[in-house]
Amino acid sequence: MKRRTFLQLGGMTAAGAALAGCRSGNEKLIPYLIPADEGVTPGKAEYYASSCRFCPAGCGILVRVSDGRAKKVEGNPAHPVNRGKLCARGQAILQELYHPDRIAQPLKRSGSRGSGEFRKISWDEGIALLTEKLKALQQEKTTDRLALLTPPLSGTLADLTDRFMAAFGSPNHLSFELLAPDWLRRATRQAFGRASLPWYDLAETRYLLGFGADFVEHHLSPVQYGHAFGRMRQARDTVRGHFTYVGGRMSLTGASADRWLPARPGSEGTLALGLARLILADSLHDEQALAASGLQREKLLRRLAGYQLTRVAEQTGLPQQAIVEVAREFATTRPALAMAGEAVAFQSNGPEAVRAVLLLNLLAGNLNRPGGVYPAGGGGAGPENSFSGLLSLVAKMRADRIGVAMIQGNPVHAIPPATGFQEALARVPFIVSFATLLDDTALQADLILPDHAALESWGDVIPQGSAREAVVGLIQPVVTPLGDTRQIPDSLLATAHRLGGGMAASLPFQSYREMVKGAMRRRIAPARGTDFETAWTELLRQGGLFGKIGSTGEGFRRATAAAWPEPGEPRFAGDEKEYPLHLQVFPSTAFYDGRGAPLPWLQQLPDPMSTVVWDSWVEINPRTAAELGISHGDLVEVTSPAGSLRAPAVIYPGIRPDMVAIPLGQGQQGGGRYARGRGANPLSLLAMIDEGTEPRPAWHATRVRLTRVSEKGNLVTAGHPQGSYRSDLVGI
Amino acid sequence: MEKMTSPYRWGMVIDLDRCTGCGACVVACQAENNVALCDKKEISEGRGMQWLRIERFWAGEYPDVRVRFLPVLCQHCHDAPCEPVCPVYASYHNPDGLNGQVYNRCVGTRYCGNNCPYAVRVFNFYPHTWPQPLDSQLSPDITVRSRGVMEKCTFCVQRIRRAKEEARGEERVIRDGEVQPACSQTCPSEALVFGNLADPRSRVSRLSRSPRRFQLLEHLGTHPSVYYLKGGGREHV
Repeated sequence: MKRRTFLQLGGMTAAGAALAGCRSGNEKLIPYLIPADEGVTPGKAEYYASSCRFCPAGCGILVRVSDGRAKKVEGNPAHPVNRGKLCARGQAILQELYHPDRIAQPLKRSGSRGSGEFRKISWDEGIALLTEKLKALQQEKTTDRLALLTPPLSGTLADLTDRFMAAFGSPNHLSFELLAPDWLRRATRQAFGRASLPWYDLAETRYLLGFGADFVEHHLSPVQYGHAFGRMRQARDTVRGHFTYVGGRMSLTGASADRWLPARPGSEGTLALGLARLILADSLHDEQALAASGLQREKLLRRLAGYQLTRVAEQTGLPQQAIVEVAREFATTRPALAMAGEAVAFQSNGPEAVRAVLLLNLLAGNLNRPGGVYPAGGGGAGPENSFSGLLSLVAKMRADRIGVAMIQGNPVHAIPPATGFQEALARVPFIVSFATLLDDTALQADLILPDHAALESWGDVIPQGSAREAVVGLIQPVVTPLGDTRQIPDSLLATAHRLGGGMAASLPFQSYREMVKGAMRRRIAPARGTDFETAWTELLRQGGLFGKIGSTGEGFRRATAAAWPEPGEPRFAGDEKEYPLHLQVFPSTAFYDGRGAPLPWLQQLPDPMSTVVWDSWVEINPRTAAELGISHGDLVEVTSPAGSLRAPAVIYPGIRPDMVAIPLGQGQQGGGRYARGRGANPLSLLAMIDEGTEPRPAWHATRVRLTRVSEKGNLVTAGHPQGSYRSDLVGI
Repeated sequence: MEKMTSPYRWGMVIDLDRCTGCGACVVACQAENNVALCDKKEISEGRGMQWLRIERFWAGEYPDVRVRFLPVLCQHCHDAPCEPVCPVYASYHNPDGLNGQVYNRCVGTRYCGNNCPYAVRVFNFYPHTWPQPLDSQLSPDITVRSRGVMEKCTFCVQRIRRAKEEARGEERVIRDGEVQPACSQTCPSEALVFGNLADPRSRVSRLSRSPRRFQLLEHLGTHPSVYYLKGGGREHV
C-alpha cells in the first residue's frame, strides 16, 4: 500500500502545535517541482503527537518523522503532565520501535518452554489456536479457567479487557505491576476519605519533606515532578524551596536534597509520628486545619505519647538535634509538603508509615492549598491491593485451576519468585504472550501474538497521579508497522469475533482504533456541537483531551473514621545474625522495573549515582566494604533466605552501613541481544514475610549477607570511581 | 579579538540547583546527533562516545555526604585550546561563537582532544554500526561519522541552521527560545537554558548575570560560552 494511502486511511494527523526550539517552518514550506511520492517529501519532517507508555505517568510526546521513519521524540509542550519535557526513558522509546530483535510475526513454541525455539505462523493460525483453546473452555463450561495478566490499564483498553473477560465469564483479570501505586491510593483513601492518588503541588511549596519518594527516577510522574522541582528551587524571586530526604539509601532524588536523614529501614513511620508529636507539642501546627479535621491537640498528644524524641531517635538511628530541626523547619515554613514513596511503602509496616507521613500534611494545613496536596485528576478508583490479587491468582494456578493465561508485560522477570508466581505459571497448560521481544515471559509462552511497538499503536491513556487536571492522552501511530504485528486489543477483538456468540456481541468493533475514537466521541459529545471528525482531528493534532482543573470534584479532607496509624516495629525476613544487612532493591533511572534493559541507549546511560554502564551492581557503604575486605569493582555474592546472586561492588557513601542496594532491571534471560544474560535480577533475593492477616508486598524487608568472591567484578563505570577526582578544580 | 559579524553569540546556562542528574539530556543528545552505540568493552577502554556527560561528585563521609551533578559538554570556548592545534583547520570558530568541527576535514591527529581541558571531544576509535533497523532512527540532518574522526557537542548546529533559514526567509533574527538543542529542550527541571548571549534580554543572558554564576576552569582563560549556576543548600554538611 502506498504510504499516502496508509496515512489517509490510518487517519494520522500531524501535530500543528507550536513546538519551541526545533521545528522549523521550512519543513513544510518548500514545495518540490516533482510531485511528492506517496505524500512523503524526502528530508521534510512532520511531527505527530502521541503519548508515551514507557511508565504509567503518561507524558505527551511529539515524534519527528522523516521519510516515514521516526527520528526523535520530544515532549509535547501542550500536554499538562510534562509540558514539553521528557525523561531519559521516554527519549529511548525509538529503540523499542527499531529494536533489531523485535518479533516480526506470531510464533508457536516448537521446543520446550524456555528453550527459545519457536516456529513462525500466520495471524490466522495464531488467532485460530487461541480461539480453539478458549472454545474448549467454553464447551467444558469452565470459562473461569481463563486468566488475563496485564499491567494496570486505563481508558479504552481497560474497558475492552473488562468486556472481554466479563463476556467470556472469567473473573481472573489481574492488573499488576511491581511499582503500581496501589498502596498510595489506599493510604490516601484511608487518610483523606477519597479514593484518589494525590497530586503534590511541588512547584509552589517551600519545604519538601520526602520519605523515600523518588520522584526523579520513577515515583508517580517523574517528568512532571522533575519540572516542578526545578520551579520549586529557582522559579520564584527570593524563594528557594528546601528539600529534606528521609531514607536509608540516598537515591538519585535524595542526592538533590539539602538534608539527608538516613533513617533505619522500617522506622520512617515512627519518625513521621515523632515529628508530628514535636510539632504539636510546640503548637507549631496549623490550628485551623486541625480544628477542621475534628482533631484536638491534647488528644493527639496523648495518642502520640509513645513517640517521644529519645525513643524516636533510637529507633531511627538519627541524631535528636536533626529530628528537632526538621520538625521545626517543616512546621514553620509554609507551605510545607510531605511525600511518602516506595522505599517506605514496601517495608513490612509500609501502609501505616505512609499514612503517618500523609498525616504530616494535615498538621501543616496544606490540604487543597497551593504548595500542598490535592486529589489528582484522572478519576479516583483504581486497585488498592493488586498484590493480594496476585497471590490469589498464584494459588489458582498452583491448584491447576487456570487453563489458559494471556499475558501482557514481563511478569516472569518483574515479579519476585518468592511469590511463587513463576513456579505456578509453569503449571498452566497454555500460555499466550503479547511481547514485542522474546523476553523472559515470552520464552515461557506457547503462543506469541506480538504487539505493536508503542509508536505503531492507537490508544488512549489516562495518566494517574500525574496532574491536577483531567487528562486523556491519545496514542496514534507515527510510522507504518514494521513487521506483521498487531495491537493487543486488536488480537483480543479478532479472538472475540472468531468465538462468536456473546463474545462477538459484546465487542462489536471492527478495530481498536474505532473503539478509541468512539470512546472519545462519548467524552466530548456533550461539550461540542461541531462535527466530530473535525474535533477528532484536532484532538489528535493536540495529543489528547486536556481538561480543566476543578473537574475532579471535592478535595481532600481528613477521613473521620480513619484509624490512627501505628507503624510498630518493622519485620524482616532473615535472621539478623546470619543476614546482617538490609537489602533495598530500587528501580534505576535507566531500567525502571526492567523494561528499559533491552534498549542500548539506556544500557549505555551511566547510572547517575554509580556511573555504572551495561551491568548490575551492589552498593555498599565504604566502612562496611572495608570491614568485609571488599574493594570497588570486586565481585561479591549476596545471599538472602530466598537465594543468592553475584554482582560487582560499588563503594557508595550515600547508604547506611547496615544496608546494601541493588538496582532492578538486569538479569534477564531474554529481552534481545542487549539485555540477555547481563547482570543479575535482585528480585530473586526477596523473601516473603509472614505478616499475619494480610499479605503485603514487603519488597524492602529482606535481609542479606555479603561475601567477597574475587577481584573480577568486571565493573565498568563512566566516571571516576572516587567521584571527586580533582573536584577542587571544579569548585562546586 | 571579536568581530561582531553575526547577531548571535550562542551560549548556555546550566543551573546546578535545578539539575537532578536524571540523564534525560544525555539520551536526547545521543538520539538527536547520531551518536554511536558503545558496548561495555569500548567504555571500559575510556572510548565511550557521549557528547554530554554528567559528572557526579561525592563530598564528605557518611552520614554527612552530599552529591553534586555537573553536566559537561563542549564549552564552545572563545579562546578554545582545541582550535589552534588542528593541522587541517577542522576545528574552527564560527561567527556565531560556536566551536565547529568539520568531519570531512578531520584526519584524526587527536591533538584537539588532547588539548581540551574539559575532555569533551570524543574520537571514533572504532567503526560504529547500528544493527538494522536501529539505523532507521538516524537523523538525515546530521552526518554519521566514520572511524578516525573527532566529534563533539555542536549545540545542535543543525537546529540552529534550520532556524536561521526560516528566520532569513521571514527577514528577522531568531527569537529567544525558538531554537534549543536537544538537551535543553528535554530537561525536565529546565536546568539547561540555551540562547543568544548577544541579546541582553534573552533568558540565557539574564541568567548568565546571576550572582551564582561561575565557569569551569576559569583560570585557564578559555572563556567558555557555558555558564554554570552554583547549586545551593547542603550547608549543614
